[in-house]
Amino acid sequence: MKYMIMIYDNAQTREHFSGPDGKELMAEVDAIMAELTESGELIGGEALADPSQSKAIRLVEGVPAITDGPLAEAKEHFGGYLMVECESFDRAAEIARRWPSARFTPLEVRPLMTHDGAEM
Amino acid sequence: MSAPAAVEDLLRALAPRVLGTLVRRHGQFDACEDAVQEALLAAATQWPAEGIPDGPSAWLVTVATRRLTDAWRAESARREREERVVVAEERVSGVAVADEDDTLTLLVLCCHPELSAPSQLALTLRAVGGLTTAEIASAFLVPEATMAQRISRAKATIRARGGRFALPEDGAERAERMRVVLHALYVMFNEGYTATSGAELARAELTGEAIRLTRLLCAHLPDDGEAQGLLALMLLTDARRPARTDADGALVPLAEQDRSAWRAEEIAEGLGLIAGALAGAPLGPYQLQAAIAAVHAEAATADQTDWRQIVALYRLLARVTPGNPMVSLNHAVAVAELDGPRAGLALLADLDERLAESHRLGAVRAHLLERAGDVAEARAAYLAAARRTTSLPEQRYLEGRAAALT
Repeated sequence: MKYMIMIYDNAQTREHFSGPDGKELMAEVDAIMAELTESGELIGGEALADPSQSKAIRLVEGVPAITDGPLAEAKEHFGGYLMVECESFDRAAEIARRWPSARFTPLEVRPLMTHDGAEM
Repeated sequence: MSAPAAVEDLLRALAPRVLGTLVRRHGQFDACEDAVQEALLAAATQWPAEGIPDGPSAWLVTVATRRLTDAWRAESARREREERVVVAEERVSGVAVADEDDTLTLLVLCCHPELSAPSQLALTLRAVGGLTTAEIASAFLVPEATMAQRISRAKATIRARGGRFALPEDGAERAERMRVVLHALYVMFNEGYTATSGAELARAELTGEAIRLTRLLCAHLPDDGEAQGLLALMLLTDARRPARTDADGALVPLAEQDRSAWRAEEIAEGLGLIAGALAGAPLGPYQLQAAIAAVHAEAATADQTDWRQIVALYRLLARVTPGNPMVSLNHAVAVAELDGPRAGLALLADLDERLAESHRLGAVRAHLLERAGDVAEARAAYLAAARRTTSLPEQRYLEGRAAALT
């Protein structure tokens, strides 16, 4: 089963990673990425640019209206993701739990939909 | 491989024999497997242009052996330059390819019980099926680098666990290893069979490969009722493929399938195989599942299905695979057909705990509630099941059933 591990950030999260403990935190990230690559579980993953760089697009009576910033004004924003294929949900949850940003902000593990289907 | 079909078929047929020859001569399954894969790629590009050589197996063994010695030479040069390890030059003329067919031994090695099911499938497809890593990656919808890593890790695991290139001599161990092989082939088939449309079509090739490999297995084990039963089950199931989805890739339930679209040839072969297996060998789960598929295949219309026989077969299946909730679920469906939806719903009550999170239980309950006339409850059950599934076609189907009830 493929899972997207959604990594949430707040204004301070990335400061942790560039602060005095940043090197250790990044080393943890590198170690997990190496482990997932070696095990063949890693499908991909990216970090997103700061939410100040995003624009929301919605249609207002058919006309696109573009506003600065992410859709929801929340304390936490979607900051990046890992795509993994794991034997179980528990394994995906374990990866999320060990991801260093989990100490500051939450992560979300969501199974991907597939185009496979059984006769019902 | 983009070689013409004839060359590709030949290469896949030769792959296990060439690999077996190399492993028996040199040991080191993992290094030999890499070398054979390179030889297959070389043949796939050269043969279509230059013609198939007179002794295609010997050609492959020669090229693979050369790659193997090159790899060893490079490795020893890197590792111990001062030691001047001399690797004997392989004689590349007059290569003998063993008459022995190592397909069975390779299958047992690739389906090592310490490997996860996806790793077993990937390694089997490469080493026995002769598929490239790129082809396997596309069938499993993962990047090629991910699949390459899984395959090399699988080989490293086999080496670390001392996996030997030999069939277990002990009868009980051999039976257990064969059970794992059959299960891996069964999973491979299902991976492909559940593909519906669009981006997933590369997966559908897995059914063909699973059938081809199971056929190979059956040729080596003509008296193994479970191997024959598995092949029969695959053929009888695959025969329904043209009818199981509509033009838009939407799922069509068994009862509503256009049976004239079922593949008669596969059904005939499957029926023959299962009749032979049931007559001789001791009963096992694959034979029973094939027997159930055979009862469906023999009914000209859904109404003519012999549900009494299917219920009896599910009872037997529950006895040989105790504690399998999916068997109990299918048994309940069959009982509902025979004795009415309320009888089926009563059986589902016992299943609730083990399958509570499963959308399949919800889907079956919804069907039975609909047939029992509980429209509101059926609708709620369809929608609950639709939220639980991770399959887009199943979700579409379940939401469609719910929408039809308003």
